[in-house]
Amino acid sequence: MWKGVYTMKIKLNGRQWGWHIFLCLLVMFLLAPILYAISTSFKTLSDATNNVLSLIPEKFSVESYKSVLMRIPFIKITTNTFFIASSVTLFKIITSVLAAYSLVYFRFRGRNALYFILISTMFIPFTVTMIPNYLTIGKLGLLNSSWGVILPQLADALGIFLLRQSMRTIPRSLIEVCQLDNIGHLRIIKDIVVPLIKPSIISTGIIFFINSWNEYVWPVLILKTEEHFTLSLALQMFINAEGGTDVTVAMAISVMTMILPLALYIIFQRFIINTFTQSGIKG
Amino acid sequence: MNSIVFEHVDKTYDKKVFVIKDLNLAIKKGERIILLGPSGCGKSTTLRMIAGLETISAGNLFMGDKLVNNIPSGEREVAMVFQNYALFPHMSVEDNISYGLKIQKMPKDEIANRLKEALRILELEGLEKRKPRELSGGQRQRVALARAVVKRSDYFLLDEPLSNLDAQLRAHARKQLVKIHETFHQTLVYVTHDQVEAMTVGNRIALMNKGDIQMIDTPKKVYNRPVNVFTAKFIGSPPMNIINIEYADGQIIIGEHRITPPEMWKRLMYKNGKDRFIMGIRPEHVKLIINKEDDAVPCSIRYIEDYGNDIGMYFSMAGEEMIAVCDSNAPINNQEVYFHPDYKNIHLFDADTENSIGYPQEID
Repeated sequence: MWKGVYTMKIKLNGRQWGWHIFLCLLVMFLLAPILYAISTSFKTLSDATNNVLSLIPEKFSVESYKSVLMRIPFIKITTNTFFIASSVTLFKIITSVLAAYSLVYFRFRGRNALYFILISTMFIPFTVTMIPNYLTIGKLGLLNSSWGVILPQLADALGIFLLRQSMRTIPRSLIEVCQLDNIGHLRIIKDIVVPLIKPSIISTGIIFFINSWNEYVWPVLILKTEEHFTLSLALQMFINAEGGTDVTVAMAISVMTMILPLALYIIFQRFIINTFTQSGIKG
Repeated sequence: MNSIVFEHVDKTYDKKVFVIKDLNLAIKKGERIILLGPSGCGKSTTLRMIAGLETISAGNLFMGDKLVNNIPSGEREVAMVFQNYALFPHMSVEDNISYGLKIQKMPKDEIANRLKEALRILELEGLEKRKPRELSGGQRQRVALARAVVKRSDYFLLDEPLSNLDAQLRAHARKQLVKIHETFHQTLVYVTHDQVEAMTVGNRIALMNKGDIQMIDTPKKVYNRPVNVFTAKFIGSPPMNIINIEYADGQIIIGEHRITPPEMWKRLMYKNGKDRFIMGIRPEHVKLIINKEDDAVPCSIRYIEDYGNDIGMYFSMAGEEMIAVCDSNAPINNQEVYFHPDYKNIHLFDADTENSIGYPQEID
């Protein structure tokens, strides 16, 4: 059956050709900076400055990577970043699952209004909450710590929205069967709801993880010393004014920063596409 | 002994439209009662109120002499089969069946025993490890039944459990259901819009319309002694013929024709004191004759349907379309035939209230 698909001759009509060319250009446009970063990171400095546009290094060099590892505590910073990103992801998923469940399965006065308010928080710019949050974290004595970065990010309206959408595809009777058996809500969430919307949870989690991994403004406010830095802050050290002008080193740390999110995305991409195209399971 | 009692129960979502209005219903312990009615009549809502999945807006609901208005569903000890079966797609057949028992921390060997028994009764042996999507419709339906059976609850609620099956499977599943009930003797409440299911499964039928109970009695009574026009028309296929008649000077007037009913009916109609009635005759009781008689009304055949064993004859009488079911040897060449009521098998209803005027003692 599959063989047939592979050997099938695909005939494209004019319109489809047009789309394919457009999409190829789009892919090139999106991939070019990444390829450029990877290639530059393996160049020597003179090669990088002389042959700016060439994608293949004259001489393959890992000097830039060595220099990154020498100048910053890379392992420590990666661990910080990973800790922050995975904590944020975990908390956001937990709160989103709980909130989405109650919004879908509990009937209470003002449910829709509450949902509307929650969703509208997605449209509040970060800069509006930045200062109050900073002051709160300061009062709590959490400046310059990973928890200071994590604490204001325990819940996310986007997660509630996405998970609510996929929970709505679960037939209500599945939950009612459990209610008749006197099964508690947390148990229902764990045994029934979560397994059924796993693809949505994974893809929502990936989005949270990558966003948190790449986050810059909030950590830069909170984190002051190098041993607490995250990767995006470390990256900044190599491209700012006093950081030096070695573009190969800057590209090396860029590549090191994006490896993990990229790998996660590639592994779980089918869930992500699934979530955004059809949103969850079919009853 | 009553096991489920509704007292003046209302159900409304917006305090304007009542899904259920002043429902009074007493379900006996261990009986099979059918909630029958057209869609939107409130029968599923009634069932869900018993299960505790819908709240009660007003009135009282008792289960086993206990007021349960505010008791959550989990504490009502009911087993329910849903129309869409509500199987967990990610669990195997045996996990689906035993999930509830496991959560309630029932001993393992007891779970295994009940599971085995349910699998045997419902002919599911060998399918234990399958996922619901690998099962046929009939098998899924049986898994849903098995999951309800293992609970050994006193109350067995079924919400149109057979409506997604084809006709043959349905007949088999009906028998299976009755067999299960005869093994465990739960109080069985069964919602359906299918009158054949109602007639074959039920000890009693509660016929509902617009949130109210029209009639509650044995299938036989509901069929033979309908209390009003709605009941008469809803039960029976093809439905009962309904025709408006007048009563004057001891004679029934159908259109322009007068026929003389026997004394027994005259007495009843006289007692009722009105002069307009609705007459109902089941298609299988319509007698069409070829030769004109005194007490017969002429009518003309319009259309004939062949059911194989029987034929259905559509004819018009006094401007009304009626149907007669007769065996296929009946002479059907004649366009002109005569209708002669079989007075033992007619039903008379008050034209205004549409309620039955009753039946003469002689035939009751």
